Amino acid sequence: MSRPLRRVVLVDDHDLFRAGVRSELGATVEVVGEAGSVADAVPLIKELDPDVVLLDVHLPDGGGQAVIVQVAPERPGVKFLALSVSDAAEDVIGVIRAGARGYVTKTISGTELTEAIHRTADGDAVFSPRLAGFVLDAFRSGEATADPELDQLTAREREVLQLIARGYRYKEIAARLHLSARTVESHVSAVLRKLQLSNRNELTRWAAQRRLI
Amino acid sequence: MSVGPLRLPVTFPSVARSERDRVLAGVCAGVADSLGVDATLVRLTAALLSFASGAGIVAYLGGWSLLAAPGEPAPNRRRRLAGVVLLVWSAILALRGVGLAGSLVWPLALVAAGLVLAAGAAPFGIGERRARLGAGVLVLAGVVVFLGENTRGSATTLLAPGAVAVALLLVLGPWAFRLARERDAERAARIRTEEREELAARVHDSVLQTLALIQREPKASRRVATLARRQERELRAWLYPDREPAAEGTLADAVNAAAAEMEELHGVRVEVVRTGDAPLDERTSALVLAAREAMANASRHSGAAEVSVFLDAGAKRVALYVRDRGTGFDPDAVAADRRGVAESIRGRMERVGGTARIVSSPGEGTEVELELPEAGS
Repeated sequence: MSRPLRRVVLVDDHDLFRAGVRSELGATVEVVGEAGSVADAVPLIKELDPDVVLLDVHLPDGGGQAVIVQVAPERPGVKFLALSVSDAAEDVIGVIRAGARGYVTKTISGTELTEAIHRTADGDAVFSPRLAGFVLDAFRSGEATADPELDQLTAREREVLQLIARGYRYKEIAARLHLSARTVESHVSAVLRKLQLSNRNELTRWAAQRRLI
Repeated sequence: MSVGPLRLPVTFPSVARSERDRVLAGVCAGVADSLGVDATLVRLTAALLSFASGAGIVAYLGGWSLLAAPGEPAPNRRRRLAGVVLLVWSAILALRGVGLAGSLVWPLALVAAGLVLAAGAAPFGIGERRARLGAGVLVLAGVVVFLGENTRGSATTLLAPGAVAVALLLVLGPWAFRLARERDAERAARIRTEEREELAARVHDSVLQTLALIQREPKASRRVATLARRQERELRAWLYPDREPAAEGTLADAVNAAAAEMEELHGVRVEVVRTGDAPLDERTSALVLAAREAMANASRHSGAAEVSVFLDAGAKRVALYVRDRGTGFDPDAVAADRRGVAESIRGRMERVGGTARIVSSPGEGTEVELELPEAGS
């Protein structure tokens, strides 16, 4: 495949894990920098201006959210892909709402991760089954809000998310729903946008419920 | 999940007589130990108080009978009562020694004794009701003595404010006491939460990461990967418990348990994703059993390394999908034993008014769709 070479920065406080990821990434991805904390990551990313930042949700001096918040205003071209072993929905949704383009779990295979990095670099959203489950939960039908256009998922978007949660890949979803892969991508991106922009009460309440006291 | 009881951050300091640094019975040293001050200071205070009509001496005797010797059980009830009486007596002596008139000291002592009794019936081994009654009598006696003493003198002006003060004390005392207790409990809960979060962060940074790493290692044996996966699951369940109510004994719980069991049995990853939840009843239990069989099938026959399970539990319908990317099969031309399994999944669902659909083709993997419509529809 003639894919462009993507420049990636790895942000994870676990040296071993970074080494493992680096060795597994395909030839189309080049790791140009690594950082183990928010304090190290922010200036590094600003300096290197990579295509994609692979970002751990948990870091010793703050979360992946802190990195996004500090970098994004100055480097709008940098895209973030969250990578975590965490199962806590509020952490994952939090990092997405801060601006990450997707979330994958750390047990993802090297090929799949490479694929996800390319997709992130292309500006597409990367949804793991788990994230799809969280989002469906968060947008669970219910109260009407001031801006229903923004705050509700369309039936089609819901359908796509359900298939992702069931373990379907984009291509398989496209085949099943008789859509083009491009259309599936755009549905997923629309969901991501709604997730990031929505301030519907239900979403905040949902997040608050899951947080401790 | 069990979290060990956390000691309340606020408890009465436990005072014991000191064995190692004693002059008489070790009372002063014991008090000094628990207050964290120098024993000499306490001794000096006691000695000075002894000049106030001998208050220091009486207090010392009270402390001696009230406090346990180190390494011995708490003194019996009679000794504790005697100790309290002696301490109160010494306080009265001290107040008189300081120059307070008898007309004030005695009522105060009675009211104080009443309040002590009301606040802590337990240490004296007295029943709640009797303690309250005794406290009421003591306080009333205090008020009466106060009134009696002061109406005779010129201090009639003191009377009204005095009575009001006593009444206020009676009303606000128990309330303040309860407030303080509640605040302590709240603080304890907060500290526990903080400790837990800190622990979660630490375990997350080390153990969970390592376990994820082991599972990524292609050269690790399947057994090792399974062990790592199991540890990961147990830790995760402990670190990130579902914070929604009724996490125990729900459909989602049962599905998770079944997935865990299949992972153990067959060494295949079973990823469970869910949205919503439902109580576990006859119908949902049948769904779990059918799902369990579908997972077992996928683990045993598909050859795939991972099985995806998605539970979609809404108010109107519950659906569960088990999918693998394994070899798949042609549903129209399957071996008899496979068909048997498929029928048993279908049979389970149909008996509770649900449906099962098995979609598969060679090379494309298999998906089992289980659906349970709203009861009664």
